[in-house]
Amino acid sequence: MIAVIGLLLGVGLGLFLKPDVPIGLEPYLPIAVVAALDAVFGAARAFLDGIFDDRVFVVSFVSNVFIAALIVFLGDKLGVGAQLSTGVIVVLGIRIFSNVAAIRRHLFHA
Amino acid sequence: MAGPTAPSSPPDERALPDQVTMGLLAYLTAHAVDEDYAEVAARRQAAPLPRPRRPIGLAGALVLAIFAVLAVTAAVQTSQDSVSQERERRALIKQVKDRKTAVDADRRTIAKLRIETSRLEAEQVRNSQASTGLLAQLSLLRLRSGTSPVRGPGVEITVDDAKDAASERDRVLDIDLQKIVNGLWRAGAEAISINRERLTVLSAIRHGGQGITVNFQAVTPPYRILAIGDRNTLPSRFADSSSGLEWLDTQREVGLRFTMRAVGSLRLPAAEVPTLRYAEPPETTQGKRSS
Repeated sequence: MIAVIGLLLGVGLGLFLKPDVPIGLEPYLPIAVVAALDAVFGAARAFLDGIFDDRVFVVSFVSNVFIAALIVFLGDKLGVGAQLSTGVIVVLGIRIFSNVAAIRRHLFHA
Repeated sequence: MAGPTAPSSPPDERALPDQVTMGLLAYLTAHAVDEDYAEVAARRQAAPLPRPRRPIGLAGALVLAIFAVLAVTAAVQTSQDSVSQERERRALIKQVKDRKTAVDADRRTIAKLRIETSRLEAEQVRNSQASTGLLAQLSLLRLRSGTSPVRGPGVEITVDDAKDAASERDRVLDIDLQKIVNGLWRAGAEAISINRERLTVLSAIRHGGQGITVNFQAVTPPYRILAIGDRNTLPSRFADSSSGLEWLDTQREVGLRFTMRAVGSLRLPAAEVPTLRYAEPPETTQGKRSS
């Protein structure tokens, strides 16, 4: 319940405040969102597995977002930003898909 | 990437971590959830905590809120960007269109002013009685120099690439048009135009880009060359001139298409008068310099 409230609160805040992203950070926002999505799905699966832990969620979320942005930043500096972004997206995408598959098994027992 | 296939040391295999023994994709799929969850859960089972923790606490909800803010911001940013890009594109298109209409209007004004200028000139010259002869001379010079439209009998020549032209050799080149034009001048033509481009002393027939340019305007085959002169003698004198002979040889050899017919009345346009930047009549400089 508190999770849903937090989510709704975040959506409301985002829509209401419309925070302006600094130009320098703009390229890293989408990849950070994908990394955060991975952390959220991982947490959901852990929750259904019965091994969810608040602290692990916070740490994994922050480190996921930070490392994804850092990899893209490094790639930009080295001139392979687009390729590294693709790599990050592929890895996170695979993780998200397998987590969703596990969640589906939990929910529908199929 | 592949797991170890050598069966030499089976007891060691157990000790190797999953990253080493599994393929990358298999490892990714198997370890989709951070191992920390499992580790913490195992630790908690081993040593029971003094108080049971709630499944999702305030910290989790806060992180979820941050996640929602991030996602919404990214979405809003993307949609704003696309909107502003579209708006910029529209503005640019509008600017281009505006400039185009402005240029068209300017061009019309130029044409109108040019007509007005020549009319005024004629009027002025006509007003001064001493210069009636000058007017006739002026119009004659204009005709010869190609800066006024001209009408008269002459020949119409149509030139085109050979049928099924495959290579540059089967096409009409700038040098071919030059030969024809030179032959026509030699044959006594008084005014010549190629595809409605009047030739003057400053005209150039050149190879430019994909095709031929005349007066820096691209012309495309079939080339229609109009020449004003004695329509009875032009064709024969053309065939007698050296340039004409050269052209006829090339034409026959390559199979270029070429027709020439006499016409009772032709109309040739005026050439656009190029600005003379360096040439000036000697009278104006006579006072300063002895030439």
